[in-house]
Amino acid sequence: MTSTINWRHLLLWAVFLGGLALMPQFVTRGTLRTFIFANYLAIFAMSWDVLSGRTGYVSFGHPFLIGIGAYTSAILSYRFHVPVGWSIPIAVATTMIGGTLFFLPALRIRGSYFALVTLAFMELMYQLVQVIRPDLTGGTRGISGVQTLLRGAVNNYYLSLGLMGVIAILLWSMMRTRLGTALSAIGMNEEAVEGSGLNTTKLKLFAFMVGAAVAGIGGAFYVHYLGSIAPRALFDVNFLFTIIVAALLGGASTIIGPMLGAFFLTFLLEYLRPLLPGAERYFIYGLIALLLYMYEPRGLYELFHRGRARIFGGRA
Amino acid sequence: MTFILELEHVVKRFGGLVATNDMTFAVYKGESLGLIGPNGAGKTTIFSLIMGEHKVDSGSIRLHGEELTGLPTHKRIRRGIARTYQVPRPFADMDVLANIEVGLMPDSLIEMLVSPFDHAEGRAIARSVGLAEADLHRDPAELSMGDLRKLELARTLATRPEVMLLDEVFAGLTSGEIAQISGLLKEKRQDGLTYVIVSHDLRSLEPLIDRAIAMTQGTFVCAGSYQEVMNDKAVRMAYLGH
Amino acid sequence: MTQILIQGLLLSGLYALIAIGFTMIFSVGRVLNLAYGAYLMLGGYTYFWVAQTMHMPKPIGIAAAIGIGALAGVAMHRLIVRPLHSDPVAVEISTLILAVIIQAGIVLVFNDAPKVLHPIVDGVWRVGGATVTFNILTATVASWVILFALYHFVRKTHVGRAISAVSMDIKGAALSGVNPDRINMITWAISGALGAIAGVFFASYTQLSPSMWVSPLIIAVAVVIVGGIGSIIGTLIVAHIIGFMEIISTTLIAAELRGVFTMLLIIVVLVLLPRGLFGRGEL
Repeated sequence: MTSTINWRHLLLWAVFLGGLALMPQFVTRGTLRTFIFANYLAIFAMSWDVLSGRTGYVSFGHPFLIGIGAYTSAILSYRFHVPVGWSIPIAVATTMIGGTLFFLPALRIRGSYFALVTLAFMELMYQLVQVIRPDLTGGTRGISGVQTLLRGAVNNYYLSLGLMGVIAILLWSMMRTRLGTALSAIGMNEEAVEGSGLNTTKLKLFAFMVGAAVAGIGGAFYVHYLGSIAPRALFDVNFLFTIIVAALLGGASTIIGPMLGAFFLTFLLEYLRPLLPGAERYFIYGLIALLLYMYEPRGLYELFHRGRARIFGGRA
Repeated sequence: MTFILELEHVVKRFGGLVATNDMTFAVYKGESLGLIGPNGAGKTTIFSLIMGEHKVDSGSIRLHGEELTGLPTHKRIRRGIARTYQVPRPFADMDVLANIEVGLMPDSLIEMLVSPFDHAEGRAIARSVGLAEADLHRDPAELSMGDLRKLELARTLATRPEVMLLDEVFAGLTSGEIAQISGLLKEKRQDGLTYVIVSHDLRSLEPLIDRAIAMTQGTFVCAGSYQEVMNDKAVRMAYLGH
Repeated sequence: MTQILIQGLLLSGLYALIAIGFTMIFSVGRVLNLAYGAYLMLGGYTYFWVAQTMHMPKPIGIAAAIGIGALAGVAMHRLIVRPLHSDPVAVEISTLILAVIIQAGIVLVFNDAPKVLHPIVDGVWRVGGATVTFNILTATVASWVILFALYHFVRKTHVGRAISAVSMDIKGAALSGVNPDRINMITWAISGALGAIAGVFFASYTQLSPSMWVSPLIIAVAVVIVGGIGSIIGTLIVAHIIGFMEIISTTLIAAELRGVFTMLLIIVVLVLLPRGLFGRGEL
């Protein structure tokens, strides 16, 4: 694990983001919409990875956090006419408070139990949103006509790409510091991190706050891109599945992995559309995810790595 | 001579089982103390209590005369005490050097973000426990048991302890590796480190310790030189049954 | 009042049946099978296909559902749990993915429109202002009979005792000549069969839909978490706590709050009493 950031890294980032920035020149508006979804999914998957991929506290309730961000901003701007410039930061702050709620069980339980509590959080939110103050949340039907930030696929594409790029580079830089190493170490052996004189509670809280902040940013911007929000689309096992699978498929505990996974998934779903028009696409896509997870838990990132090593010889 | 670590009337129960029954003993500064007793005597539990991995039910544990009970583990480490484990569990996806460097980290989020990795110090510690330069960028999975123990010692030493609790450091090692680790421990003692050692391998333990404490079923039996303790009737009873 | 009592008893019986198969796997295999809800779905749809599409007699439909459930259980054990060496988190993630695959598979075969099962037993029974369908009554009675049979199976038969032994101490059981892997597989088969039969009753109580697996899974999870793991008696007690809580909250407060208290119970118990109300029991 080396810490120095050299010109090659910067070049790779520039090529990757620059390449994506050229996309609107080559693809149709429809495909661009797919790209926008992929960018947001990448943000959600990176957020999941900060919290779960690194520290090993697997969250099955990530839509809970994203939903807090999305609903807060949507309600503030739609019901109370708060300008988006305010509603989004407030939404992110609220999501971080939600992240603290998530964090409380992590003080006492981990592993499969922690995953279950977070799943319960998500289901609880799904039911509460419909029952409590439906005049605000729009109940089962949700809210439509939420103010959108920009018009047109191209503008929205650049917005989502910019968000994803900034978040990715910030997280990537953070993960290369000692702090990033310590977070990953928690996922491997929490006792040994504590036994190295580090306050694991503080470290975990930090990971949860960063994960929640990213989820909140993603959720809030996403709702102002879609212009609508509904509980079933959000607090749903299928959505959860898409996020987790994106992170795992691409390669958890890396930054590029969740992004790779998000793009791979989105395009897989898109290309399966002509063959299987409905929800059946999840069948193929789930099978691929399951096989890859079982036989290469480190994901596509590792496969690429190994492929490269085979071609150029030696391991990078 | 002054005491560096003191335990007074320490009691720990797990359900109905009394794992530590009113243990009182003290460790002199700079000494090497052996903690011996049959399987299930509660030696490892004492280590866990000293480190705060389990909370004591009652009693007092002091380092430099200052109370440790109530402090979380990481704070106790910062006070100058550390332990190793029977089964080394290194950070599996990090190379050897990165493993050691976790022990060198400052416990402040901001400092962790801005301070650079201390590769030089990490290397120096690795060298001091006898890990080869070529091993530094290996994954722990590729190491032999002896090297894993060295890695564990290195990561623990990186926290700059004054007292080290060593739990079965010889388990699973070849005689050559045992000699290496023993030499290493003796060397570190010259630098003023204090040890409490738990080991089943009494033959390897004997030359390393100044004094021994015997315990069985969580209870203190006797203390004294290695020979005195091994000749004690109660100890022979507990170990050999006669 | 009578209505709450009767409805509560009926629902709780069904919930106990739903939870027991999930509990068994957690107790014996030490893993949480998040595809457990899919057994219920497989059972319900199999019964639907055999009894209502192919118009075969109902008992054949039930038998087919049990067979498919058991088969699914064995397949999950062989293809997922064993290759992952029962790593709890990996199994949890894979079975979640599997549940979504099965859901998509159901859509592929049956499309995603909800389907209504005809009552397995027709007729209603009126008691003190409450209407009880024979269907739900049968479900509850069947649930009690199955739980009673399972209790005796675990206590009295050789295989049952082996299952119980593995749930207490895998190494000890292996030393005394029990093959934990085989016992595990048998448990997965039984769990699948129990899930499938619970699915038939659950579907006849609500309806068949490709997303029907989530709520019974949550109920099963709640029972395991609140009851601590393993015991059949504990499962029964907690199923009644949850069943009555649901009936009371729906009749007295609001129908939409149906699952809210179950979810709150999961969170509160996990955070405050990580070992459950009754600690860690044996099967």
